[in-house]
Amino acid sequence: MRPRWRKVLSDLIDNKARTLLVVLSIAVGVFAIGVIAGAYVIISEDMSVSYASNNPANIELRMDDFDEDFLNTIRKFDGIKEAEARRVFNIRARPLGKTQWTSIDVITIEDFEENEVNLLTPLSGKEIPLKNEILLEQDVLEKMDAAPGDTLEVQLRDDSIKTIYVAGIVQDSSTGAVDFLAPPLAYISTDTLRLFDQGELFNRVFATVETGQDDDAHINIVLSALKEKIEKNDYEVGRTFRSLTHQHPLETTINAVLGILMALGVLIVFLSSSLIANTLSALLTQHLRHIGVMKLIGGRDKIIFKMYLVLLVSFGVLALLIAVPAGGQGAYGLAQFIATMMGFSLLGYRIVPSAFIIQIMVGLLVPLVAGFMPVINGSRVTVQKAISGDLAGESSEQGEGGANRESRFEAIQFQATRILADRGIRIKRPLLISLRNTFRRRGRLILTLFTLTMGGATFISVFNVRVTLHEYVESVGNYFLADVTLDFDTPYRVSEIEQFAMQDPRVTYVEGWAFSGADILYPDGTTADNVSLLAPPAGSSLVDPLMVSGRWVQAGDKKKLTISEGIYDLYPNLQAGDYLPLKVNGKEESWEVVGIFKFINMEGILGYAPYDYISRDQNMANLSFSYRIVTEEHDRAYQEMMAEDLDAYFRDNGFHVQEATPGLSTLDSAAESLDILISFLLIMALLTAVVGSMGLAGTMSMNVLERTREIGIMRAIGATDIRIITMVLVEGLLIGIISFILGIFLAVPFTYGFSWIVSTAIFETPIDVVFTPMGYGIWAGLVILLSTLASVLPARSAARLTIREVLAYE
Amino acid sequence: MTTTTESLPLIELRNVVKNYQSEAGVFPALKNVNLNIERGEFLGIIGKSGAGKSTLLNMFTGVDALTSGEVIVNTNEESISLHSLNENDLALWRGRTMGVIYQSFQLLPMLTLAQNVMMPMDMSDLYHPRKSRERALELLDMVELIDHAHKLPSLISGGQQQRVAIARALANDPPVIVADEPTGSLDSITADHIFKLFERLVQSGRTIVMVTHDKGLMPRFSRHVEIADGELFSEADRK
Repeated sequence: MRPRWRKVLSDLIDNKARTLLVVLSIAVGVFAIGVIAGAYVIISEDMSVSYASNNPANIELRMDDFDEDFLNTIRKFDGIKEAEARRVFNIRARPLGKTQWTSIDVITIEDFEENEVNLLTPLSGKEIPLKNEILLEQDVLEKMDAAPGDTLEVQLRDDSIKTIYVAGIVQDSSTGAVDFLAPPLAYISTDTLRLFDQGELFNRVFATVETGQDDDAHINIVLSALKEKIEKNDYEVGRTFRSLTHQHPLETTINAVLGILMALGVLIVFLSSSLIANTLSALLTQHLRHIGVMKLIGGRDKIIFKMYLVLLVSFGVLALLIAVPAGGQGAYGLAQFIATMMGFSLLGYRIVPSAFIIQIMVGLLVPLVAGFMPVINGSRVTVQKAISGDLAGESSEQGEGGANRESRFEAIQFQATRILADRGIRIKRPLLISLRNTFRRRGRLILTLFTLTMGGATFISVFNVRVTLHEYVESVGNYFLADVTLDFDTPYRVSEIEQFAMQDPRVTYVEGWAFSGADILYPDGTTADNVSLLAPPAGSSLVDPLMVSGRWVQAGDKKKLTISEGIYDLYPNLQAGDYLPLKVNGKEESWEVVGIFKFINMEGILGYAPYDYISRDQNMANLSFSYRIVTEEHDRAYQEMMAEDLDAYFRDNGFHVQEATPGLSTLDSAAESLDILISFLLIMALLTAVVGSMGLAGTMSMNVLERTREIGIMRAIGATDIRIITMVLVEGLLIGIISFILGIFLAVPFTYGFSWIVSTAIFETPIDVVFTPMGYGIWAGLVILLSTLASVLPARSAARLTIREVLAYE
Repeated sequence: MTTTTESLPLIELRNVVKNYQSEAGVFPALKNVNLNIERGEFLGIIGKSGAGKSTLLNMFTGVDALTSGEVIVNTNEESISLHSLNENDLALWRGRTMGVIYQSFQLLPMLTLAQNVMMPMDMSDLYHPRKSRERALELLDMVELIDHAHKLPSLISGGQQQRVAIARALANDPPVIVADEPTGSLDSITADHIFKLFERLVQSGRTIVMVTHDKGLMPRFSRHVEIADGELFSEADRK
């Protein structure tokens, strides 16, 4: 091997700590990009294929009970390819011997073998349940411990308890996908209906369209026509849903989330490149003498440039050896996690060529780009400078004629010290040295601060985003302020329920609500979407809306409603006071929109109208199926206890209770999904923090290495180990503290940016940003810890240097 | 400029001035220095610390820029005004024409002795890699270090390191060798060995310019000049 390449090899392997630092800096960025790019590709390829492979229904109708004959009518309807009917009802179930009930939507499939729409993927146990057997969707397992072969207790409407055998676990990527907040699902055959006291009638239609399965407008046309036909046959359709065959309903959200993660991945690459630039410029400074010697014996710029370029590429190749396999595994892991969370299957482990290529490009280009300037500068240094060890870039500035002069910053430092000393405030000499050392290499300091500050700002803002999202979900809870929602199978007089409920001293308030559904029409009369109309009594204190414009509903409002922001998707210019064409109970009407409020748009469009009007319109004045109950205490545990107690109390008194739900339970699943997203963001934030602290560790080692001679001199004049260690630690801490202060400010725009992206992706609406001291507190602790850790090793190496070694260094 | 150079001095310093700028003002390190160095000479430049001897040496090697004046080197039928070359051309020229030896040896610590000696040949592309290896071993043999050829510099003594530096300086067979206090950090016995090596090289026809503060070495040079406060004094001046 030629001596020049032998030198490159030695540079690579002799200083293992430095090589490791550079290689890990590159590897972190390459890994992050690999994981996200790989997961992005796997998910976008597999999600649609997996979703489509289960032949998802393009149309779902939730309607009155109907029979096989009517299903045949739907099957023959123009534009419908396949149609299957299901009976869906809610039960409460628990494993035998457990006390905690779980609400489950049971889906009855007429013929599992002939099932063609919304296909199930068997995961374990049997694929087809026999009589009195049940298949559980995998989401159920998050709520209860159950496995094939177990027995469940189910509670029926008459309070009787039956047992059912768990035949298998399945995955249903289609049925649950449209309703994010719906209870988990389970499946039985028609034979088992009798066990649940259910009639052999259907209440849902799942249909595919003949053509245009990925054309929402076409599906809507078929749906509108079908719905009209059904309503003409005196069946009422409650809600309708549309889905495209090759697009998972949550695809946009998932892509947006992956987009955010990708942005953070790019940020990590960017930060690691600044770390590499820093390390390489320090390496070149350390190698100044070598460069000088090489130039002295005939080395030209080109040769030296090539040598260091090869060194950079070697760093990149080593980083790729670590990051590419790890990134591939990580990508599949992340994709698998998201797939499980969203209820679809992946097509199997594979290497994603595009992610592989991106990783190789990033791994090779980042060190080249980051190291280009330091290498160019290093190779162009003059022999005189190199041999004399004149380290350009030390704090002193070049005056006219090349003379060093005191920098403005140094002058300020000296002046400040003098002023303090004049007033009797004397900063200890070692601290002064630490302070001065911190600012000696300003280029390096700026890069280190940049990396650490970006890491810190990202970290802090992720906490802010977390609180912002949770606050929003909580504020959405203002639409569900009751502690218990009590639903009955039959309507009861409001006064009767109120009287019974108030007999429990823990109940403080009761309201009966009405419900209705309506179609939102386009101006040409075609159906655009559904709106679920909730009708609390006017002036209800159980709704505290987040108004965007206009007012809330009030007593006396007729054909007036407030509607959620989702309406903007259909009518972008709608304002309070405008009229909206609706189809209510089969009649086309024009309703005045008196206000627009914020809500989670993913849950569909929601409207509010006064109870008096809706109940009278439904001929149900003073009657209600659904009651909102306020109790003495409002925490989740109390709500759960009250729901159980009220459920039992009303059943004992002969009421047909369908379900008693604790008020906060609806929001919990939303909050849980948000936490998963936040944990991803937090992992990325931690990676940025790791890159930042690696930058600091590198800087501190370089600083110590470059000051070997000074440290030796200090030891020679009596500095103890502890003095030297303290000096280095204080310098590291100072950098950490400065970055923290800068991070506090930078976290503000970061928080706004992240919140905007995440909220528009998830809630389809920008939300108010909330700041929490938690992120600041944790980061303050973390940055102190990281700064200390990053400085401990260099400090120990500094303290271990003997005067003899220092002289040898020269 | 290309002329017949045989009859000309090997190195000519013409009115060389070197000033350094500092906060305290302009410091003249060399004041209008004129000096001719002939082929085959063993020239000693003697002066105290701070007299300007290393600065003068840097003018010969082109390592430092001069403020005014000219340094002409007449080799290989060529007269070159050293400071008219750019940094790259100068590096290549120096690698092929001049062997430089420093007090602190300046060996590359990560390379073995043989690799250190091979390095100038590698940089100048004058020898095939295999040939350069053979030559490096020959040179190490000449300085009696062949047994240590594959050791790192840190494993041998200071005197041995200086001998490696001399072998490296001879690698491209340059007509002139410039040495800056080559015995300054060595004990007297080792220093004597090194000096004897230089004398042998001069006997074999090389030109050596050596800077030292040690007046005791005066009789061993074929000619010497003294430098003080940036000015040169020859023996004639002294008398």
